[in-house]
Amino acid sequence: MEETKKFIVPIGPQHPALKEPGHFEFSVEGEIVTGVSIRLGYVHRGIEKGAENRSWVQSLYLFERVCGICSHVHATAFALGVEKLCNVSAPPRAQAIRTLVGELERIHSHMLWLGVAAHEGGFDTLFMYSWRDRETVMDLLEMLCGNRVNYSINLLGGVKFDIDHAQRDAILRGVDFLEERSHHYLKICTTDRTFLGRTRGVGTMTREQADEFGMVGPTGRASGNKRDVRIDAPYASYAEFPVKLVTAEAGDLMARFDVRIRELFESFRLIRLILDNLPQSELTARVPRRVPAGEVVSRVEAPRGELFYYIKSNGSDQPERVKVRTPSLCNWGSVTQTAVGSKLADMPMILSGIDPCFSCNDRLVNIQRGDNSQVWTWEDLRRYGIEYYR
Amino acid sequence: MNNLTVPPLIAFLFFPGGLFLMFGGMAYEWIDRKLVARFQNRIGPRWFQPLADVVKLLSKEEIIPQGVDRILFYLLPVLALSAALASALYVPIAGFAPAYSFKGDLVVTLYMLSVLTLCLGLAGANTPNRFALIGATRTLTQLFSYEAPFLLALLGPAIVAGTWTIGEINFYTQLHPWQMILTQPLGFVVALVGLMGKLELPPFDAPEAETEIVAGALTEYSGRGLALFRIGKNVELLIGLTLVSAFYLGGVGNPLLFVVKTVGLLFVMAVLQSLFARLRIDQTVGLWWRIGALLALLNLLVVALFRALA
Amino acid sequence: MDTQTALTQAQELLQQWTDSTAQPEAHRLDVKVSRENFKAAITAVKQAKWGYLAAITGLDVPATEEAEGQVEGLYQFCEGAAVLTIRVAAPYSEPYLPSICDLIPVATLYEREFIEMFGVFLEGTPNTERLLLADDWPVGVYPLRKSFTGFDSPDEA
Repeated sequence: MEETKKFIVPIGPQHPALKEPGHFEFSVEGEIVTGVSIRLGYVHRGIEKGAENRSWVQSLYLFERVCGICSHVHATAFALGVEKLCNVSAPPRAQAIRTLVGELERIHSHMLWLGVAAHEGGFDTLFMYSWRDRETVMDLLEMLCGNRVNYSINLLGGVKFDIDHAQRDAILRGVDFLEERSHHYLKICTTDRTFLGRTRGVGTMTREQADEFGMVGPTGRASGNKRDVRIDAPYASYAEFPVKLVTAEAGDLMARFDVRIRELFESFRLIRLILDNLPQSELTARVPRRVPAGEVVSRVEAPRGELFYYIKSNGSDQPERVKVRTPSLCNWGSVTQTAVGSKLADMPMILSGIDPCFSCNDRLVNIQRGDNSQVWTWEDLRRYGIEYYR
Repeated sequence: MNNLTVPPLIAFLFFPGGLFLMFGGMAYEWIDRKLVARFQNRIGPRWFQPLADVVKLLSKEEIIPQGVDRILFYLLPVLALSAALASALYVPIAGFAPAYSFKGDLVVTLYMLSVLTLCLGLAGANTPNRFALIGATRTLTQLFSYEAPFLLALLGPAIVAGTWTIGEINFYTQLHPWQMILTQPLGFVVALVGLMGKLELPPFDAPEAETEIVAGALTEYSGRGLALFRIGKNVELLIGLTLVSAFYLGGVGNPLLFVVKTVGLLFVMAVLQSLFARLRIDQTVGLWWRIGALLALLNLLVVALFRALA
Repeated sequence: MDTQTALTQAQELLQQWTDSTAQPEAHRLDVKVSRENFKAAITAVKQAKWGYLAAITGLDVPATEEAEGQVEGLYQFCEGAAVLTIRVAAPYSEPYLPSICDLIPVATLYEREFIEMFGVFLEGTPNTERLLLADDWPVGVYPLRKSFTGFDSPDEA
C-alpha cells in the first residue's frame, strides 16, 4: 500500500452487510475510517413521477409500496394528506384502526431492526430469536388484513377492515407474549458484556449534533432529541390516545437499542388502550374523485422517524406533485458525520444503527433503456400481472 | 492401559490420518453446526451437509483472480491441509497411540497447526481484494494474540508430565487423571478458548466477519481451494479437540472415551459460540493479552509450585 | 413554544425579505422570497434556531402563455407542529439558486436530489455527483420536470 493513495473499502451495492442495495466507500487507515461517500439509487422505481399520471386511488397503492417494512405509514400519510385537501376526515373508528395498525407495524419494524443490528454485530443468536418472535406480530397483521407486508388497510377516507372480538383477543394475546419477550431483549441489550462492548460508546452523537443534523425518530431520540410527530403534531387518533416520549441521553448505539426497545413497551400499552376504547362509527367517509386544488403537508411518525409528505393537487383526478421525504434520508447525514474516526468493524452496526431503509430513499425514476432491455408500459405490466395469476 | 498402535502407512493414508481425519472432521463440523443451530432455534443442516458442501465445491470451477501469484494461490490450500493432516500423526486420534513420536513433538504439532492460519493469512494477502487484505491482516493479528497464551496453556500438562511428547503426556494423564484436572483448570479454559480463536469461531470470527469484510482472507477462493481450506479447518478442529481432551480431561485411552470427551468439548464450544456477540479485533487482542496470557501464566505458576512440592 | 407563537416568530424573522406570505392551514406559513434574499432568509431561520430543515421539495411550473416556466424550491422547516415553507423560484432560462450547504451541512443529500431531478444548479453545493439516478442516465434530462414523459420504447422508435 502506498502512503499517498487512500485505501478504500467498498461496501455495496452487493455486500453481505446490506440487505438492500446501497453503495458506500470507506477510506480506511488500518482499522480506522477516515472518510465516507454515499451513492444511492439502486432501487429507484420512479414512484414520485409515477404518481403524477395515476389517479389518486392508484397513487395510494403506489405509495404504500415505497417501503416494504413501513408500508402502512406511507399510505396513512398520503391518505391523511388527501383527506385534508378534500376537507374530509375519516371516521373515528377508522382513525383508531389506522393508529393500531401503525403501532403493530412499529413493533414489527423495531423487532426486525433488532435482529438485523444484532446480526451486524455478529450476535446471530439474538438475531434468530428476535425474528422468531417477530413472526407473532406478522401473523397478527396477516390475520387483520391478509398480508404480512403491504397491509393495504387504508382507503382514501377510511380503512378497509374492521376488528372483531376474536381478532381483538388474538392481538391482546400476541401483545402479552411480545411484551414478555421484549423485557428479555431489553435485559440482554443493556447487560450482556460482549454486546455492550460493541455498542457502548460506538457511533456516539451528542444532542447538539443530533439537532444540527436534523436527525429524526428513535435515532434522534437516543441522543436526547425530543422530536416525535405523534406528540408534536398528533395525527390519526394519537390525540385521543397519547404516546409518552421515549428518549435516552447517551446517543450511542446502546442508547438506540434502549430507545427502540422501550418504544415497543409504549406501543404495547397503546395497542391495549386502543383495543379497550375502540370508538364505534362507520369505517369510511366519502372522498371525491377529483381532489380540490391546493397544497398540503402531511407528517407522520414512521418507525424510523418523521415521514414527510408534500402533496399538491391541481383540482384534477391526478396528483400534480407528491414529494416524499423519508426518515432514512434525514439520518444518512449523521452516518457520514459519525463514521469518520470509527473502526471499520463498527461500520455495519453504525450503518444499521439508524435503521436505514434503502427502498425508502430510492423512489424516483428509473426507466430501463438500451437496445436489449425491454421496456414495459404500465399497461403491459398490468396485463402481465393479470395473466400471471390467471 | 496402553494405547493401541497402527502400522505407519495405514496411519498416514487411512487411519488415523488421511481419510479418517477428513470424514471425522466433517462429522464434527456437522455436530458443531447442528448444535449451534439448535441453540439459535433453527433446524440446522442434515448429517451429510458438510460432505455435500465439499463435493459441490470440488466439482466447481476454480476462479483465479487477476493479479495474484498463481503458484501461491494453488499451493497454499494444499500446504494448509497437508500441515493439518501431518500434525495428526503425533496426536492420539480416536484413542490410538500416535503413529509417530519423538522427543518434543508437542512443539512441532503446535506449529503445524499454526501453518493453516499462516496459509490463510498469506492467501488473503496474495489477492488484490480489499476484503481479503483486511481479512488477512486480522487473521494474522489474531494469530499473534492467541498463539502465545495457547502455547503457555499447553505447556502446563507437559511440565506436570515431565515430557514434551504428546503420546507420553496422554499416557501420563490416563495414569494420573485427577492430578491433571486439579492442577490446571485455568489452562483448560485458556486452551479451549484458544482453540476457538484458532478456528475463528464466533465470537472470535472478526477475521471473517461477513457483515464487514465478506469472507475475509478467503473472499477470492472458490472451488477446490476453498474446499481444501475448509477440510483443513475441520481437521484442525478434530485435532484441537483431541489435544485438549488428552491433556486436560484425563486422556483419551480408547475410541469410546475419545468420542465422549471430544463431543462433550464441542458441546461447550457450541454453547460459547451462540452466547456472545462478535468481538472486534482490538477487543480480541486485548482479551488475549490482558486476560488470556495472565491466566496461562498463573496456571504455569500453579504447575511449578505443584512440581516443587511433589 | 406553541404553534401560533412559532409561526408569528417565523413571520417576524423573515419580515424584511418577504415578497408575500400565505397561511394555507392553521399550522403552516408559506413565505415567498426572491432569489437575492433567499440566502439571507435561510440564514435568519438558521440563526434563530427555528426548527430544522425537514425537506427540500422541488416543484416544476411549466411555461404558460403569460409566464416563463420556472422551477420552485420549497424549503420546509418544522418546529413542533408548525411548518414553515420558504419558497424561491428560478426560471428555466437561468436555473440557478444558491446552495445552503454552508449553513445547513446535512442539506447536501437533499440538494443533490433537487439538482438531478429538476435541473436546478445550486451554486456552491459541495457535491454534485449523482445520488439517485443511474450512471448511464443522459445528461440534461430531468425526470421530475413536467416536460419529461419517459423515453421512447425501442420498438416504437
